[in-house]
Amino acid sequence: MAGLGTAGTHPGGPSEGGGALGAVSGLLGRLENGLNVVAAVTIFVLMIGTTISIASRISGFPILGYLDISEQAIAIFAFFGAAYAQRLGSHIRMELIIGKLPGRLRWAVEALATFAGLCLVVVLIRYSWEFFLNAYQIGDSTVDIEFPTWPAKLLVPLAFAVWAARLAVETAGYVRLTIWPDAEPVAVPLQLTPAEEAEREIREAGIQQENDAQDQRAGRAQDPGQSQSEGQSAAKGRDGEGRA
Amino acid sequence: MNIQALIDGRPEAIFGIGYMNPTEVGILCMGLLLVLVLLGVRVVFAAGIVGLVGLVELIGWNGAASAVGQIPFSKSVSFVLGLLPMFILIGFLAFHAGMTRQLFAAARAWIGWVPGGLAVASVFAAAGFAAVSGASVATAAVFSRVAIPEMLAAGYNKRLAAGVVAAAGTLASLIPPSTILVIYAVIVEESVGALLLAGFLPGIFSAVVYAGIIIVWSIMNPDAGPPVRGVSWGERFRSLPGLFPIFAVVVIIVSAVYGGWATPTEAGALGAFVVLVVAWINGLRWPSLKAALMETSKLVVMIFSLIWGVLIFGRFLGFSGLPETFATWILSFDTDPYLILCGILMGYVVLGMFMDAIGLLLLTLPVVYPAVMALNGGPDVTAADSAFGMNGAQASVWFGIIVVKMAEVCLITPPIGLNCFVVNGVRPDIPLSDVFKGITLFFIADALTIVLLIMFPQIITWLPGLMYN
Repeated sequence: MAGLGTAGTHPGGPSEGGGALGAVSGLLGRLENGLNVVAAVTIFVLMIGTTISIASRISGFPILGYLDISEQAIAIFAFFGAAYAQRLGSHIRMELIIGKLPGRLRWAVEALATFAGLCLVVVLIRYSWEFFLNAYQIGDSTVDIEFPTWPAKLLVPLAFAVWAARLAVETAGYVRLTIWPDAEPVAVPLQLTPAEEAEREIREAGIQQENDAQDQRAGRAQDPGQSQSEGQSAAKGRDGEGRA
Repeated sequence: MNIQALIDGRPEAIFGIGYMNPTEVGILCMGLLLVLVLLGVRVVFAAGIVGLVGLVELIGWNGAASAVGQIPFSKSVSFVLGLLPMFILIGFLAFHAGMTRQLFAAARAWIGWVPGGLAVASVFAAAGFAAVSGASVATAAVFSRVAIPEMLAAGYNKRLAAGVVAAAGTLASLIPPSTILVIYAVIVEESVGALLLAGFLPGIFSAVVYAGIIIVWSIMNPDAGPPVRGVSWGERFRSLPGLFPIFAVVVIIVSAVYGGWATPTEAGALGAFVVLVVAWINGLRWPSLKAALMETSKLVVMIFSLIWGVLIFGRFLGFSGLPETFATWILSFDTDPYLILCGILMGYVVLGMFMDAIGLLLLTLPVVYPAVMALNGGPDVTAADSAFGMNGAQASVWFGIIVVKMAEVCLITPPIGLNCFVVNGVRPDIPLSDVFKGITLFFIADALTIVLLIMFPQIITWLPGLMYN
């Protein structure tokens, strides 16, 4: 949360070292990336679809059931990215104290905090599954076009299962660091101080000279160093926005 | 202790349901939440775990777990929340739409002639960009590069130059599209449209107060902020097209909500589409679009998780009756309600130093909001009988704007004040201490704004009031 951000991570690829843990984390990372792509594409499709639906409604041909479908689609981007965001340390928290703890104690607290999250998510998997099963058995559906709600409800335990796997890997990563505090961190998010966080924001805001050249190529010489640099800033500036 | 009960899957029976009275459970769990959050447990987990544990103690494992298991889906999958990804996408695309320099040039051309002209231009340009991008910190970073060099070249005081850039980013949260106002609306179950409209004038008003204080200061210190001279009308009109994306987005959202020709969610989607088109014309291509979408998705899932996590906690609070108890306690102070309100807002000042706006609001509102409503005379009070001269719905919107404004100030408060660190990072030649000194002026402006918003709630309630009449 404020200041001491966690954006940026050890993505946990096999190259990170840490042996088996890094490998598992890397494989899981691919699945998480894939799920986040699905969520991202859904957001894009929803934007285009909603724009079309406004146009068709205003011109007198409302799309039947668009509202119901688009509402159910929220489940995709509300949950699919949860593990991806976990890996990148995007779920907000307050790091004022934990950031100041000395090595081993800090890793132990991190391990416990992550494990607590794992416990919650496991309970949620179990009981959101029940919620899905109930909807499936009674044939629960949306109001307008009676679209079944069970497919969307099923996404919750599925996405949370991946999240639980990520939390388990991260817990293991912290336990490993608690045992060997000097080891290279694997499969855990990076942690930054306010000054480092600011540095990252600036770096990722692309405040660098080479971007100017790209803009000039884009034919906007009067507007140097902007679109490209801002694009990157957007990309990560929003990490900050979680806290902003 | 009844270990057999635990083995049987009834952990609540270890101590027995009703071991404590609900309010005690509520207070204990609030304390537990505070400890977990301070220890660095992610807010969604802290809120979810404490909510679950509290519910188990109050209504037993089965009731608690199945209620909690439904909340993520039931609270997330609602048409109104479809708005969040659209607003956030607008923000990410805005960075690609090639706006900052054009905005600054336009603001400079049109209002640079006042004392402290470049600083005033920075306020409006950064406010406009922050509003659409929704990203306070990134706005500070980008404008540190766009506006500070020009101000320093024109001989501006460097504390003023740094302060204005750090402060103007905080205007992100009030002018539509505002993600944080949507979150407030969802948590307190208020109309999203009313809050989006309500934020419009106070956001502009904040910028005007910033500008006013710069002008006054520049008149008193003429060397610190000389006005810009010799801008031709042709130059002014040529600068206008750069304002298009911002005006388009704000006008689409405000007019849709106000005029009712589209729902806020639809307006958000249309706004995102317009910004996408502008960004595409300005050279956005697939790799950047993909990056923007991935980032959008990551931020969206974070916010959704926070919302359902806090609503799990909120469900528990409802059972515990703690909000009512807290409200009764607040009402038991036999003093001026404005004084109590000030006390509550002071609490936000302190907490805001250590927490970001979204986390702060989500964690405090379930308890503080009902108390403030009760202070005004309850949710169904008429304007005539109320303490603050507003009916329940108006007071709810009014408090939302004030508390969001308060929470945003935390981005420029020491010791963390991320915006200030960012300005110092882009311009290492301006020491952090100078940035924080430069910010002082804008603290005064923010304090003034908040006092005025409390004294003249019409600034907030007028526009949504028009919509409902």
